[in-house]
Amino acid sequence: MSADVTRREFLATVAAAQGAFVLGFWMPEKAAAQTATPEINAWIVIDLDDTVTVRIAQTELGQGVWTSNAMMVCEELQCDWAKVRPEYASANRDAREKAPAWTLEVPGNGATDPKGGGEPTFGNRDRTGVSGIPDSLYRRMRTNAASSVKDGRYYLQLAGAEARERLLLAAADLWRVPVAELTARDSVITHAPSGRTTTYGQVAPRAAQTPHPRPETITIKPPDLWTLMGTERKNLDVPIKVTGQAVYGIDVRLPGMKWAAVKACPVYGGDVKRYDFNAVRSMPGVRTAVQFPIPDPACTRGRIFSGGVAVIADSWYQAKTAIDRMPIEWTVPTENAAVTTAMMHDALVTSIGQPGRVRVDQGDVDAGFARAAKIVEATYSTPYLARARMEPGNATVLVTNDRVDIWIGDQSPQETRFSASKITGVPEPNVHIHLCHLGGGFGRNGNGPQAEHAIMIANQHRGTPIHMLWTREEDFIGTTYRAMGLARLKAGLDADGWPIALEVRTCMQRDGFGPEASFDVTSRYHVPSYRYSSHTTKFHIPVGTRRGVGQAAHEFYRESFMDELARAAGQDPYRYRRELIARTKLPYKADMIKALDMAAEMSGWGTPLPKGTARAIALEERGGEGNGSATISAMVHTVSVSREGKVRLERVDVAHDTGFGLVNPLSVKKQIEGQITWFYNDAMHQATTIADGHVVENNFNRFPLSRIAEDPPEINIRFFPTQHWLIGMGHDRATSVQSGIGDAIFQITGKRFRDLPYSKHDLTWS
Amino acid sequence: MAFDLTVNGSQHRVDADPQTPLLWVIRDHVGLTGTKFSCGIGQCGACTVHVDGRAVRSCSVSASTAIGKAIMTIEGLSADGSHPIQMAWKELDAPQCGYCQSGMIMSALALLRDRPRPTDADIDARVTNACRCGTYHRVRQAIHRAADLMNGPGRPEGLQLRKQELR
Repeated sequence: MSADVTRREFLATVAAAQGAFVLGFWMPEKAAAQTATPEINAWIVIDLDDTVTVRIAQTELGQGVWTSNAMMVCEELQCDWAKVRPEYASANRDAREKAPAWTLEVPGNGATDPKGGGEPTFGNRDRTGVSGIPDSLYRRMRTNAASSVKDGRYYLQLAGAEARERLLLAAADLWRVPVAELTARDSVITHAPSGRTTTYGQVAPRAAQTPHPRPETITIKPPDLWTLMGTERKNLDVPIKVTGQAVYGIDVRLPGMKWAAVKACPVYGGDVKRYDFNAVRSMPGVRTAVQFPIPDPACTRGRIFSGGVAVIADSWYQAKTAIDRMPIEWTVPTENAAVTTAMMHDALVTSIGQPGRVRVDQGDVDAGFARAAKIVEATYSTPYLARARMEPGNATVLVTNDRVDIWIGDQSPQETRFSASKITGVPEPNVHIHLCHLGGGFGRNGNGPQAEHAIMIANQHRGTPIHMLWTREEDFIGTTYRAMGLARLKAGLDADGWPIALEVRTCMQRDGFGPEASFDVTSRYHVPSYRYSSHTTKFHIPVGTRRGVGQAAHEFYRESFMDELARAAGQDPYRYRRELIARTKLPYKADMIKALDMAAEMSGWGTPLPKGTARAIALEERGGEGNGSATISAMVHTVSVSREGKVRLERVDVAHDTGFGLVNPLSVKKQIEGQITWFYNDAMHQATTIADGHVVENNFNRFPLSRIAEDPPEINIRFFPTQHWLIGMGHDRATSVQSGIGDAIFQITGKRFRDLPYSKHDLTWS
Repeated sequence: MAFDLTVNGSQHRVDADPQTPLLWVIRDHVGLTGTKFSCGIGQCGACTVHVDGRAVRSCSVSASTAIGKAIMTIEGLSADGSHPIQMAWKELDAPQCGYCQSGMIMSALALLRDRPRPTDADIDARVTNACRCGTYHRVRQAIHRAADLMNGPGRPEGLQLRKQELR
């Protein structure tokens, strides 16, 4: 049996067992050519029965991208939504084909043009796919930065429009009538003058052979013409998620597959000194052990993880049982092994006290402080934080001499393709990635070296598919962290309590994604003199983008400090913010005021509450300092604290902008609800600490996740339109839960806490 | 060592160490992957199945404890999503990444058996599964909705639920 046949069998088995609906399945090109299912373009396949398959180039990890991407295509395609099936796009094909040149130009005039493609980001492109590959077939296969809609909308709409026009051209050709006399709706093409109709499925084979004569003339629908986009659509994968049929990476099963359990050195930068496989060799099912080095930093965006060892066995539990008993000794860099959270905190304090990189210096801050009637100073800190997605890292890899196949839930398959090629020497066009659903993501770098571990292991077992699965404890080692952070804010207030000078210093580990938080662009709230400096340190903990990135920490600093200033000024925190936004020249300040007013009104701001209950308000925006894409909202958090110190987020009122239009408002609501839970956990419960150089909280008994009992009983979400395209919904909404709970605790208990999480503090009162 | 397990009404001959956690026997020997592994220490509930009608965290009990008992997994509700609790979940569009939802549904179902009209306090006490996406808000509504679907007007409480489970 040739290797090719074997592979085909694997794929056929997987496709048959799980359904092509779930796995983006690969077919040899010859077989593809023989199938009766015509591909209209790289994004769209239409069956004879009018089933429309839409290729999805991002990974579905709960954010609803399977549905929203399909909606953007199908808005233009004008097909029957009930017959749409998403399928993952092929990262292999992406390595071999280019996007049509006419799709590379973004139509329209940027973020404030409703007729255009908005403001997609294809900056810092490189061929590893770190930021997407600008001209590859599927452009941006990464799933990060809440950007799937912002970046993909225009070319997904174009893909749908091109397919629609070719279907119409094919029908016109068939009937020998002018194409202008045809209309398309719900997969039916009608020629009104003659009363003839046909369906997309009927003309799809002809459309597949009909090129568009002038594709550069194709336009996309502006929001006022949308009929599918902008409507609430249930996520297309929900039916398979309530029956257990959805296939995640962990569920992949292949004939002849063996399982690998892994132990990597808990101290980053460490490696295996020796291990004694003989001690476990005779255990049931155990086959062999494989050592692998620290993943090449070229594959992990420069981050240094650890070397490790894997035991391979017939079942994963056998492999895991054996590796738990196998003696392993580590070689650990002495300087890394000595590190503790306290030392790191001290290093941040030292760094923030020294001159940093001054990024903004407006007016005369020192003169402002000198003439201020009152000085307010505060130091805030935020811990390292893990993503702790529910599905532990895993990948199934088959390496042969001329080809690599990888089954994985992956937020950046273009990078994984690069890694596979670098590790195995097999060229990228021969790397095939079969994307699976992902059991939570929360930051692309959070994938850690799951693919690299599996590829390195399988590369030493060419010809055998290896399914590598991390334990929960290993998942906490194989991830990057949101960097620990520190901020010092100092404001000078005039006699009426308005800030006349503000100095902000933030300190975060290098590469910690701190400055993204926009302190480097604006103070957001009006102040005549403003200085911002960023300070960094170097630690050995690998840091990366976690939901909310540095912005989440910075929003905690900024909005907490605004509450403190309002209190120092003796003013209402809502009115105080409103006035300070009104005094700015921010292009979207009217939208910000609208958000504040709406959230305050929704919450009954100012009406009496029972003792032990308080409200807090905050503004949330990203991009609002400029005049491009932005997302703007305000939230009011109603919080109770019992005398015993039990905190309950009782109610959240959310006023949120839609920009020119939300693609799927239902999905947006779910994202807001989910992020309320996310930032509630950041605020109340979670912290990652370091002892002896390793992460201490390595399972859910130490890294707590809130349960349904802590979910706010009431969440009210109201939308308002704005005149720009949104910047994204998936990662920095509801950051204000952090400052909101803090200010409510202050109002109720009289205690102000400036370091998270709040649960570590004494919150009792009498 | 081989032993028999009854899963979703069918008997399966399993050739494994009976001390293997029930989760891994269900996933790797019986071949039902809807039940998920996440923490391995009985904390998160992603692996929740029913053993003789009780919700059990299958990563933390050995398969031997389920011998001779009726095991039900997410696949045992209905393959087409027609069980009322699945219908309610779909109506509310509850799942996000979906990874914890099999366990969440199994916990909710065990609650609904004991309390056909659960209060919010009942839900808080009994549905202690972790969800990282933050689907709790919709899960709570879906549980109430499932209770409505199962105990519609004129029906004795819990009757339809029992029917579904006996299928």
